[in-house]
Amino acid sequence: MIGVVSYLTFFLTMAGIMAIITLGLNLQWGYTGLFNGGVVAFFGAGAYGTMILGGPAEPGQFGGFGLPYLVALGGGVLLAAALAWVVGLLTLRLRHDYLAISTFGVAVALESLARNSQWLTGGARGMRGFPRPFEAVIESNFLFGVVFLLIVLAVLALVWWGIERLVHSPFGRALRAIREDETAARALGKSPTRLRLWSLVIGAAIMGAGGGLYVSYTAFVSPQDLLPILTFQVWAMLIVGGAGNNRGAVLGAVLIWGAWTLSGFALTRLVPDSMQLDAGSIQYILIGTLIVSMLLWRPEGLLPERISNPRNTTVAKAAHTSNKE
Amino acid sequence: MKRHILGLAGASALAIGLQTGAALAQECSVNVGTLYPTSVDWGRPIAETALWVGEMINEAGGVDGCDVNMILRDDQNDGRVGVDAARALVDIDQVQLLIGTVSSGITIPILTSVTAPAGVMQMSCCSSSTRLTEIAASGEARGLWFRTFATADVQAAVAAMLARDAGIESITVVYKNDDWGQDIGRMAAAAFEAVGIEVHASIALNDAQPSYRAEATQALRDQPGALYLALYPTEGISFVREWLGLGGTSVMIGANSLRSDDFRTTVGLANLGDFIGTDTSSPRVPSAEAFVDAYAAHFGSAPSGPGLANSFDAAAIALLAYHAAGRDATGTEIAAQVPRVTDPDGEAIPATVEGFAQAMAILSEGGSVSYQGATGAVTFDANGNVSAPAVSWVFDDSGMAEQRYISLEEVSGFMASIN
Repeated sequence: MIGVVSYLTFFLTMAGIMAIITLGLNLQWGYTGLFNGGVVAFFGAGAYGTMILGGPAEPGQFGGFGLPYLVALGGGVLLAAALAWVVGLLTLRLRHDYLAISTFGVAVALESLARNSQWLTGGARGMRGFPRPFEAVIESNFLFGVVFLLIVLAVLALVWWGIERLVHSPFGRALRAIREDETAARALGKSPTRLRLWSLVIGAAIMGAGGGLYVSYTAFVSPQDLLPILTFQVWAMLIVGGAGNNRGAVLGAVLIWGAWTLSGFALTRLVPDSMQLDAGSIQYILIGTLIVSMLLWRPEGLLPERISNPRNTTVAKAAHTSNKE
Repeated sequence: MKRHILGLAGASALAIGLQTGAALAQECSVNVGTLYPTSVDWGRPIAETALWVGEMINEAGGVDGCDVNMILRDDQNDGRVGVDAARALVDIDQVQLLIGTVSSGITIPILTSVTAPAGVMQMSCCSSSTRLTEIAASGEARGLWFRTFATADVQAAVAAMLARDAGIESITVVYKNDDWGQDIGRMAAAAFEAVGIEVHASIALNDAQPSYRAEATQALRDQPGALYLALYPTEGISFVREWLGLGGTSVMIGANSLRSDDFRTTVGLANLGDFIGTDTSSPRVPSAEAFVDAYAAHFGSAPSGPGLANSFDAAAIALLAYHAAGRDATGTEIAAQVPRVTDPDGEAIPATVEGFAQAMAILSEGGSVSYQGATGAVTFDANGNVSAPAVSWVFDDSGMAEQRYISLEEVSGFMASIN
C-alpha cells in the first residue's frame, strides 16, 4: 500500500512539473496567441541553468558553483527568461506558424548546443550529481518524495496565483486584446511588440522553473531531455485541458501525463504475455487516439476559456480557437 | 464521455483484480522489472532477448524455486517516461531487480532518482556513458549498478598500444558525435598522447550528413600519419571514402563498431590493408558461438542488431544472482551475489537451460560459478563495469580475422601505465 502511495506521490510530482510548464504555455498561447513551438528550449534552459549553478564542480568543465538551491533554481528561471528575451526580439515580428517554426528551430539549436559544448554542458554525457533539496537531511526515500511534491505544489500554486493576477489586470486584458485584434489594440495605444515580448518572457521563465524542478529531482540532465516530444506533450495538455483557462491547463497536464504513463502501467496487466512486446506500440496508439478524439469532440478543451464579458460567449471563443488551428 | 471513462476504469480494475487472483493461485513468483525501448525498432529485439532469458530460467526451475515474472515496460526512449515506468516497477510491482535500459540519458536519472535511493539493483545491457562510472565511483550508486556493455576505455587504451607498436608518430581522431563517440574519442586522444603519439585534431562527425568532405579536408590539412576512427559503419563508409579519395593515408585504427561486412565490402578490401581494429573480450569463444546458434534456433534468425548478446548476459547474470540471494532478497543482497556468478575460479557453465539449472544447483549449495555468456566470461570491476580482455583484428578475404589477443592482465597493466 505504501508503494502505491509512494508512486502516486511521484506521479503528482511529475504531473505538477508538467502543469507548471503548461501554465507557461497557456500564458503565451491561451492569453496572448503566441504559437511557441519550442517549449522544450525554455524547459532545457531552466534545467541546464539550475544544474550549472547548483551542481558539483567537474574538472575541465564550466559551472559546478554549488550555489544554494533557491539561487540555482532562480538562475535557471532567469536563463530561460533571458533566452526568451533574445528569441523574442528576433522572432516576435513573426505570426502564428512562422513563429512556431522559428521557435522550434531554436529548440533544435539548443539541443545541438548542449550536445556539442562539452566545456559548458558536458556534451552528450550530460551533467550529473545535483544535490537534491533536503535529501541530505531526510533519510527516508518516501519522505523525500513527499517533501519534493510539496515543493512542486508550492511553485505550482505560486505560478497559478501570479498568472491569475496578471491576466485579470489591465496587462492581461491588453494581452487578450492583442490576441483578438492586434490592429485594434494598437489603435488604442497599446504596444503589441512590447506586450508580446513580456508574455513570451514570463511564460518562458515559468517553463524554466519546470525544467529546474525536474533536474533537481532526477539530479541529472542530458541532451536526451531536450527532444521535441516534450513540446508536443505540453501542447497536447493545453489543447485537451482548454487554452485560455488555467484550471484547464492544469487538468490537461494531469490527464495527459496520466494517460501517457498509466496506460503503460495498465497494459502490463491487461495485455497477455505473448503480446507484452507490443504493449509499447499499443500505448502510442492509445495516446494518439485519445488526443485525436479530444480534438474531434471537444476542440475547445475540457475547460474552455471563460470571459466575463457576456457578449463574448464561450461558443464564439471555441469557434475562434478552432479557426486558428 | 464520463460514463465511458468510468466503464473503462471499472474494466481495468476488474482485470487487475483477476490478475492478482491468478498470481495468488501460483505457488510463488518473483517480480523482475524489465525496461527497454520496445516501441523503438532496435529496442524491441533487446527486450525480446531479455524475456527469453526469463523463460529459460523458469524452465531451469526459476529463481529460488519461484517463477520469474518479467514485467516489461517501454521507456519510449524518453527520460521522463522511463523514470516514471521505473518508479511504477519499484513502488507498485515491488521489484528488487531492474534490468534496463539502453540510452544513458534515461539509465542515469533512473539510477540516481529511482533505483539507488530505493536500494534496487539495476543492470543494463547497453548504456555506454562514462558518467555511469563516475556515479558508481562516487558511491551514489551504492554498489547496485552493473552493465554488460564493455566501456570504451579498454578499446581506447588498446588502440594506443597498437598504434605505438605499429610505429605511428602522429594521428587524427575522428569520432561519432554522440555520448559513446565523445567518450571514446576523448579517451583515445589522451591515450595516444600518453604513449607519445602526436594528436593533430579530434574531429566530430554528426549523424546522417550527406557528405563528410569538409571533415575529411580538415583532417587532411595536418597530414596525419594515421587516423583513429570511432565511427559506426554508415558514417564510417562515407568518411573513409572521402578521405581516401582526397589522398589521405590508409593507415587506420578503428573501434569495434566498424567490425562490419558492410564497411569491408563498401570501402573495399584493397583499401583496408593497413586497417587494424580493436575489440573487447573475445567474441570467438565457444559460448559466444553457442549463443548465436541458440538465438537462431529460438527466434528463427541469427542475432543481428546491437546489444543482443549484452542483453542476454545482463538478464542471465542478474537472474542467477537473484537465485543465489534467495527469493526474498533485497536489491543490495542480489548485487552482493553477482561475484559468485562471475567468479573466474568457479565452475564454468554454459548459457543454456541445462547450464542455468547446473549453475543454480551449485549456487544453492553455496558454491560459485563462472558464467560463460554470449559476450564471453564476464567479470565486473568495483564500478559495475565489465573488465574484459581485448583483441586486435583485421579485414581479410573471408571477413574479419583476429590478429592478437591481449589478456586482461596486459590490458590492466597498460592502462595503469598510461593513467
